[in-house]
Amino acid sequence: MDRRTFLKGSAALGLAAPQVAMPALAQGAKVLRFVPQANLANFDPIWGTQYVVRNAGTLVWDMLYGVDDQLKPQRQMVESEEVSGDKLTWTFRLRPGLMWHDGEPVLSKDVVASLTRWMARDPIGLMIRGVQDELSATDDRTFRWRLKKPFPKLLYALGKTNAPMALIMPERIAKTDPFTQITEYVGSGPMKFVRNEWVPGARAVFETFAGYKPREEPNSWLAGGKRILVDRVEWVIMPDAATASAALQNGEVDWWENPISDLVPLLRKNSNLNVDIADPLGNVGSFRMNHLHPPFDNPKIRQAVLTAMSQEDYMRAIVGDDDSLWKTLPGFFTPGTALYSEAGGGNVGKGDIKLGQKLLKEAGYKGEPVTCVVAQDQPITKAQGDITADLLKQMGFNVDFVATDWGTTGTRRASKAPPSQGGWNMFHTWHAGADCINPAGYPAVRANGDKAWFGWPNIPPVEAAITEWFDAADPTSEKAAIDKVNAAACEGVVYVPTGFFLGYQAWRKNVSGIVKGPIPFTWGVSKA
Amino acid sequence: MLGYIGRRILATIPVMAVVGLFVFSLLYFAPGDPAAIIAGDQASPEDIIRIRATLGLDRPFLVRFGEWSWHILHGDLGTSIFTNLPVTTMIGQRVQPTVSLMLVTLVFAIAVAVPLGVVAAWKAGSLIDRLVMGLAVTGFSVPVFVVGYILAYVFALQLGWLPVQGYTPIEQGLWPWLSHLILPAVTLGLVYIALIARVTRATMLDVLSQDYVRTARAKGLAQGPVLFVHALKNAAVPIVTVIGIGIALLIGGAVVTETVFAIPGLGRLTVDAILRRDYPIIQGIVLLFSFVYVLVNLAIDLFYTLLDPRIRY
Amino acid sequence: MTATVAPFPDRVPQAGAPPGGLPKAPPPPGLAVAAPLPDVIPVRKHRGKVWTYVRRNPTIVVGGVMLLIVFLMALLAPWLGTVDPTALAPAKRTRMPSAQYWFGTDMLGRDVYSRVVYGARVSLLVGFAVAFLASVAGLAVGLVSGMVRWLDGVVMRVVDGMMSIPPILLAIALMALTRGSVQNVIIAITIAEIPRVARLVRGVVLSLREQPYVEAAVTTGTRMPAIIWRHILPNTLAPMTVQATYICASAMITEAILSFIGAGVPPSTPSWGNIMAEGRALWQVKFYIILFPAIFLSMTVLAVNLVGDGLRDALDPRMAKDV
Repeated sequence: MDRRTFLKGSAALGLAAPQVAMPALAQGAKVLRFVPQANLANFDPIWGTQYVVRNAGTLVWDMLYGVDDQLKPQRQMVESEEVSGDKLTWTFRLRPGLMWHDGEPVLSKDVVASLTRWMARDPIGLMIRGVQDELSATDDRTFRWRLKKPFPKLLYALGKTNAPMALIMPERIAKTDPFTQITEYVGSGPMKFVRNEWVPGARAVFETFAGYKPREEPNSWLAGGKRILVDRVEWVIMPDAATASAALQNGEVDWWENPISDLVPLLRKNSNLNVDIADPLGNVGSFRMNHLHPPFDNPKIRQAVLTAMSQEDYMRAIVGDDDSLWKTLPGFFTPGTALYSEAGGGNVGKGDIKLGQKLLKEAGYKGEPVTCVVAQDQPITKAQGDITADLLKQMGFNVDFVATDWGTTGTRRASKAPPSQGGWNMFHTWHAGADCINPAGYPAVRANGDKAWFGWPNIPPVEAAITEWFDAADPTSEKAAIDKVNAAACEGVVYVPTGFFLGYQAWRKNVSGIVKGPIPFTWGVSKA
Repeated sequence: MLGYIGRRILATIPVMAVVGLFVFSLLYFAPGDPAAIIAGDQASPEDIIRIRATLGLDRPFLVRFGEWSWHILHGDLGTSIFTNLPVTTMIGQRVQPTVSLMLVTLVFAIAVAVPLGVVAAWKAGSLIDRLVMGLAVTGFSVPVFVVGYILAYVFALQLGWLPVQGYTPIEQGLWPWLSHLILPAVTLGLVYIALIARVTRATMLDVLSQDYVRTARAKGLAQGPVLFVHALKNAAVPIVTVIGIGIALLIGGAVVTETVFAIPGLGRLTVDAILRRDYPIIQGIVLLFSFVYVLVNLAIDLFYTLLDPRIRY
Repeated sequence: MTATVAPFPDRVPQAGAPPGGLPKAPPPPGLAVAAPLPDVIPVRKHRGKVWTYVRRNPTIVVGGVMLLIVFLMALLAPWLGTVDPTALAPAKRTRMPSAQYWFGTDMLGRDVYSRVVYGARVSLLVGFAVAFLASVAGLAVGLVSGMVRWLDGVVMRVVDGMMSIPPILLAIALMALTRGSVQNVIIAITIAEIPRVARLVRGVVLSLREQPYVEAAVTTGTRMPAIIWRHILPNTLAPMTVQATYICASAMITEAILSFIGAGVPPSTPSWGNIMAEGRALWQVKFYIILFPAIFLSMTVLAVNLVGDGLRDALDPRMAKDV
């Protein structure tokens, strides 16, 4: 036996390459290669609320309503709706010809099962369930929703962009326990999910669904006709920004959802690329304190932090040197939208460490350790965490910095236990500006104690003002209610807003039809 | 000899059992509650308790280890916490890029390192020898990711000769496949070359000083044939051995190389799994790589008995 | 060449310990995998020649001087014109190297020069702590295995098992169990390195046991600790020192890899690996953030490897003639 035979032999023994199923691509098929913001690790848009799951979900599943670029809900799967005079009974009729990817027709019993599962996981859904009397299918294309109390934001809830969105699935899938992931990905949306090409951490593939009938109206965000102009969309997951940037410059991918701003000058130099703002509604940075445990159960200590932090530091750490990308945010709602408010925000993010130290002393901080949980795998949480650690150190807090990953943060933040027993004092996140335009679908601003989002703030004035907004019938009283929410939230420090920032997107010049919005809308995008 | 082969194969069983116990303990002692992760963002404590019971997470260590081993022996490595897909499926999807990378690296490294080592031994003490040995020690000292970034910068970004990242399956053509692997293979191969070149040089020096080679030289055989035919054949055992041992290096290096070059292989799966604490995946990968490593070295051991009849056991 | 017959009939030829050892092959230095040293090191009396060799051998001097410089840098970090390596200045981020910021600033405006200088502490600490701890633990395991015959089988099966897991993968898996910190990195890498030392020590012990003077000591009823102290330890020291040097180099690289992939030392403690990890996203535009720690890491590992090569040549003259 010689060396060559040996090598062959060892290859056969230990290293035999198995067959990987590869697509049989038709010649000339148009493939759009897209780099999403994160890995599509799971694919249940009701169970998981990550933006990346939601974005993929909008391709595969359709919705009853969809908001347009004015955030007004418009009919999507629904042909017509009717509401009784007392606003308690809604009757919906589906438009004809809706079809699942497996060829079966979409029936109203599918819708009922989907809405039921969605309501169990969505914050507004839970509110609707609270006032729901009955949800039932009356015939194959009609279903009725009877409420015990009017719910003016019902159509908005069905068409909103916040995760979990009210996506409609076949009944057999929607029957899955809301706390268990679905395992079948059949929808009635404009694209089919190619399951056997899904490699979590590397790629996800969608194929145009020939049976999809787009609406006649022109498209605007989730509203109107969702026309797919390519044959295939391949999501290519990149491990880091540098690799994604190189791939885009070399034409190995067509569209990158979230280039980091430091690389934008490099991308702009390339004449084959376009770079623009991704979403005019931007993002709101956030760090949350745990209101259940010392020291942040003390509102004065929360105030001290809110005053001492510098939004400028946070914003520069997140977006870099480009000052056109961020602004300070003395409040909790998205700048540039109707309900934006700065009421009571005078104390937010002044960057006054001295004042913060003084306030901290007055508040009676006793040196309790602060467990600050920071996900290192997300650039935004990581940058914020580094700034916070520095801030707390300067203020004189006794900081226990826990560097971890987003998955672990997600688990740990759900624990109400004291920090020493697996709980936490502080974690970082961010919200899409589209999620922060009003209190519906903005669980992070709620302050109803145990039922509130992680940190469980219990600040009755905030909740009173939010109820006022839900009941408000006209824009003026809505605005007045939001002013109260903002002021009370600043006063009680529901969470600490670290500023408002925009992100970029970049694409090759042979791709056209990309719009700005809270979701990278694939419909209307074509490739030369 | 057959008895030896049988014993040798049997001896891998306790080794794999130790690996299995270690890997299982990993999940058992892992912090964090898989049930809480599975339940997702807004689950209540009751939901989590319910899920923990369905998963059987409340039973004793040995019961769970037994059950787990039983499943492993039946090819069931469990389910990924984050993707809800079977670990075997996820690993299967990633095997081809990693195996391709390793094979290309292996071929490249051996093709470069063995001649380098031979030349260095032949010209021992000369400038070439010094150069090769200097290169080798440098190869051990420069971290693999630095090499990767420098190569990518020069050959992909500046010169544009090769793709920066990614992987094309071999089914789509030999060149597309190979072109994506050249830079990663050079990156990954550097340490390996250093290792093989050193061992080759040392064993060659040893062989060259032995009587029968001196005789061959004295008989007037030309330098080339002497070196390659006689000496290299006799130096094969240590060289092949170090190639086998070096597989561990390749596996470790692949984790980094695949991250730098965005190759969707097992290395990147490892990094993703670590960052998300996806323990079933980590278990599966450690088991698989260890198994391959043991198997390759077993093959090499058995190969000796065929290669060199003088080895008796 | 003639492959030596496996000296221990019960020994399972395993990865890292090929049949017949790696006869006469010099151990490769500074692998991420610890150097596979031969199982059996012929025992020689040569301590008197050590200094002659050191003086004759330039590599050990060059490596030693380089290492000394890094040591001094780590020790004197606060007085080398550094600022607080963790102080953030987001308004002065990603500045190019200049008179004020010698190595530039990173994405959060931290001074890269100060981080690199302080980072030397982590690399040296990890390298030397792992080398020391792995040697001590490996020595203990190896002695037990070599001296207590009934335990040998079990211990060696465990060692074989651990050695069949690639060391970086083993360290990564261990880091998954815990949160990133210098201490945990040291523990994880140490565990991954112990089996190799244990094998080496066991090999030495077994070969010594067959030496007439040791057999004599055993038969005359000398107590075990005394045998270990008088005969075994002195002869283990030389190969272990060489091995420890390579472990040190390998541990430095492993630390950098762990930190680079985000499973090592958290950025609040600057280490060369995590400085590079932080600069990774910007390598196309701000290559200096990666470049400076890369140079220092490479140079330091090189220095340790040179010292290791030098020590090996000095302590084992038989190998020296080959190199």
